[in-house]
Amino acid sequence: MITLEQKKFQEIEKMTKGYNPLLVLGCETCAAMSFAGGQQQVAELASAIRIARKTSGQEGEVLEDAVARQCEPEFVDLIADKVGGCDAVLSIACGAGVQLFAERFQDKVILPGCNTTFLGVTEELGVWSERCAGCGNCILDKTAGLCPIARCSKQLLNGPCGGSMNGKCEISKEVDCVWQLIIDRLTRLNRLEMLEEIFPVKDWSPAGHGGPRKMVREDLKS
Amino acid sequence: MMTGNELSTEIKYPPCKLACPIQTDVREYVQLIAERRFEEAFATIRKQNPLPRVCGRICTHPCETACKRGQVEEPIAIAALKRFASDGLWRDQYEAALPGKSTGHKVAVVGSGPAGLAAAHDLALLGHGVTIFEALPVLGGMLRVGVPEYRLPNDVLDEEIHTIVDLGIEVKTGVRIGKEIKLTDLFEQGYKAVFMGIGAHRDRKLHIAGEDKLKGVVSAVSFLRGVNQAEKPRVGVRVAVIGGGNTAIDSARSALRLGAEGVHIVYRRSREEMPAAKEEIEEAAHEGVQMSYLTSPLEILGRDGKVSALKCIKNELGDPDDSGRRSPKPVPGSEFSFDVDMVIAAIGQAPDSSLVAEEIEVTERRKRIIVDGPYTLVTTQPGVFAGGDAVTGPATVVEAISAGKRAAISIDSYLRGESPATVESAGPTETERLSSVIIEKTTKFERCLKTSLPADNRVKGFDEVEAVLSEDVAVKEALRCLHCFLGARLDKEKCISCLTCVRVCPLGIPTTNKMGEITIDPFACQACGTCALECPVRAIDISLDSRAQMAQKIEKGMAESHQPDPVIVGFFDLHGNFGSSDMERLRQGHPNVLPVMVFGLRRVDTFDVLKAFECGADGVFLAGCAPDTDPFPEATDRVKRRMAHARTLLDALGIDGARLEVCDMPEQGIVDKELIDGLIQRIKEAGQARSE
Ligand SMILES: Cc1cc2nc3c(=O)[nH]c(=O)nc-3n(C[C@H](O)[C@H](O)[C@H](O)COP(=O)(O)OP(=O)(O)OC[C@H]3O[C@@H](n4cnc5c(N)ncnc54)[C@H](O)[C@@H]3O)c2cc1C
Ligand code: SF4
Ligand code: SF4
Ligand code: SF4
Ligand code: SF4
Repeated sequence: MITLEQKKFQEIEKMTKGYNPLLVLGCETCAAMSFAGGQQQVAELASAIRIARKTSGQEGEVLEDAVARQCEPEFVDLIADKVGGCDAVLSIACGAGVQLFAERFQDKVILPGCNTTFLGVTEELGVWSERCAGCGNCILDKTAGLCPIARCSKQLLNGPCGGSMNGKCEISKEVDCVWQLIIDRLTRLNRLEMLEEIFPVKDWSPAGHGGPRKMVREDLKS
Repeated sequence: MMTGNELSTEIKYPPCKLACPIQTDVREYVQLIAERRFEEAFATIRKQNPLPRVCGRICTHPCETACKRGQVEEPIAIAALKRFASDGLWRDQYEAALPGKSTGHKVAVVGSGPAGLAAAHDLALLGHGVTIFEALPVLGGMLRVGVPEYRLPNDVLDEEIHTIVDLGIEVKTGVRIGKEIKLTDLFEQGYKAVFMGIGAHRDRKLHIAGEDKLKGVVSAVSFLRGVNQAEKPRVGVRVAVIGGGNTAIDSARSALRLGAEGVHIVYRRSREEMPAAKEEIEEAAHEGVQMSYLTSPLEILGRDGKVSALKCIKNELGDPDDSGRRSPKPVPGSEFSFDVDMVIAAIGQAPDSSLVAEEIEVTERRKRIIVDGPYTLVTTQPGVFAGGDAVTGPATVVEAISAGKRAAISIDSYLRGESPATVESAGPTETERLSSVIIEKTTKFERCLKTSLPADNRVKGFDEVEAVLSEDVAVKEALRCLHCFLGARLDKEKCISCLTCVRVCPLGIPTTNKMGEITIDPFACQACGTCALECPVRAIDISLDSRAQMAQKIEKGMAESHQPDPVIVGFFDLHGNFGSSDMERLRQGHPNVLPVMVFGLRRVDTFDVLKAFECGADGVFLAGCAPDTDPFPEATDRVKRRMAHARTLLDALGIDGARLEVCDMPEQGIVDKELIDGLIQRIKEAGQARSE
């Protein structure tokens, strides 16, 4: 899933100041699963904005809604009427959602209520961590299923580096050295010899270094 | 997606209601007692039951047998709670239902036992003119002339009967239908329908030698009838009571009270098969009644025309008979006799139907009135209906009430010329079983103890043995209820399979399949509310303190608040069991606090806190119950963390986060004075800072 977190309320309050009515728009997939943009958070945030406006003597109505996924045009279009009646929309989806919204509603102010953090997993309720960098060329078959691009601070392909100490990365004692984890896992799998193969220089173009990425499937497209 | 707010609700009756023959809304009144809304609790009971104070005392409470709590430790003391709710002074404030607009029809109700009274009550409410014909000089049937005063005092019965008769019911006592007045005469007198609730008052005979000719042999019905009169019958020194039902137990306990030195109950099967209520058997033994199980009487021996001894034989249990109970088989050579000077025969009763047997058909052997079905209750004579013990043989008060109520519906359709309504039973009455894992995870709370007169004092007279629960004990007991089917309702259309509910439920009730389809067992759920609060997309709501109810409590409270500024909304956990004196002390000591009572602090969401501020509150605090009264301590811990998050948010909003407090219940008093004073102080300071 894509993980996100809500921006600090002060920042949200500042960016939404003066818009009346303001629509707080949730996204019920990754954003909800990150407890940042589900209906529950929409209700809470809208209520907070109302109170902040009231205490600082500002006017302004705050509306609430949510769609299944803000990254799909059909879903966003379903709330066109509501959007039409608003000054601005505060989207609490990831950056992709916000941008699709901007495309669908050319004349509408759209504001991001969240920071998109990473592609990751739920470790347990309330704890998420990064797992994938979306590099466009998966190498997990060679690294025992653990990604050095997403999880090595230096994105080394032939690690570990000299900063690996007792299984931790030199940047912080909290961060596991993924290369240590890779070695441990290959040892358990009895495949340590795989590391003898040196990774060639990685082609970063599928990772977006060759410009904005786009994917087209001729067989599906209309 | 996004289908508005309707949740997929499958309305199901809780086990207690399902097991009750008149489907009393047990869960509702238990909850109202927990909330200390006693008047409403009484009204809820009275709505379905015209004899609540009787049932609160002597009902056999099948609801308790079915109660889900019973699978955890012990069932809710439902009958005792009913008595508490109906005995209280608040019943004076209950607004009795008024009889409906007169239909002009006259109905005769024969017999004034619970069946007749219930039928008369409901028929009067439906607007029919009702006359009760009662053979005895007193009203109440077996409640009056069977059940002794130590279990059901006369004044209690009087009051209940008055309330019913006050609906405008005409009463004719001392009239035995079938004798002076035949059924056909009733129709000639203008009655359009007749309900026969004549009970079962004819004692079955022992059919053993000595029964008819010796002095000192009595039937239980006539003995108890005497017991229930001011002039009490004389009893022997050593009394044998034959039989194992409530009648036998009551005869034995009455004989003790009338001065018998030794009382023996002689019952042919074992204790397990004994039809009398378990509590009654225990009480009798406690008072000193001796039990001879697996014993049958063979002959009553006499001297000078009076009873002198009882000859018996021991039994062993053989194969189960038609009734499913194992039938007793005499053990050859085990005869014995013991000295007695009185024998009370209590081996069952049959209806006294001979007087009406020419006009309506009765069963061959047991003389029970034949009806066409349990919902129509039509006899073989058009316009004549019957129910209660007269149809079923000796049964229970609540079954008789149920029959009376069903008869009223059936008679009403008959009088309107409609075909009788066939109400189907609500469903299976077998309670589903909880898994052992859930039972283990459920916090146990001991059932309330009943307070009874000491046994020594009891046997001196007919004073009521059991006392009504005190307010605090009743509320505590009501708080044990597990709120069956008031829990999580999942809207599958909204669910995004985030698994939060699966992860947070303290009982492990929500489960998922590999496609992320969530199932929440509505029977097992105990309405703690955690999943509903944590679900990010609000796919779950709880019926007990639902989101809408919570918002309403806050809005209504704030709109009606008379609290002086600064107004502080205080969420109180009902499990804290605050009495009216606590609340009074709160009003006096902390006039700024607007109390909002909730079923568990765990139900308070950040959103609710914001709502309070939005409605104009200046401060909010949450007062938890004592840890040993909290059914879901982990969930309450979650609330504390949730409130830390709420505080950060409040800070960011420019409302000092310190205006939100969470506290546990102090040992004494309803909340710490310092906590409230501190809160008020901070609010005032913050207010000044802003205005500067
Ligand atoms: C000693 C004893 C203890 C009991 N304890 C309990 C208990 O703890 N819990 C419980 O649930 N149940 C108990 N029961 C059973 C309960 O009392 C009966 O099931 C219930 O009263 C039956 O109600 P009914 O209206 O059908 O008949 P009844 O209460 O028997 O009333 C019938 C009435 O009809 C009158 N009548 C009869 N024939 C005529 C006629 N021809 N004309 C006019 N009037 C007539 C009778 O005089 C009587 O007043 C007990 C019964 C007895 C005897
Ligand atoms: S808009 Fe972003 S957060 Fe929402 S579903 Fe799409 S990718 Fe996930
Ligand atoms: S726990 Fe409560 S609702 Fe459930 S069966 Fe018992 S009394 Fe009824
Ligand atoms: S918490 Fe809500 S969205 Fe998540 S799985 Fe449960 S019901 Fe579905
Ligand atoms: S309400 Fe409580 S007990 Fe019921 S499913 Fe949700 S978390 Fe579990």
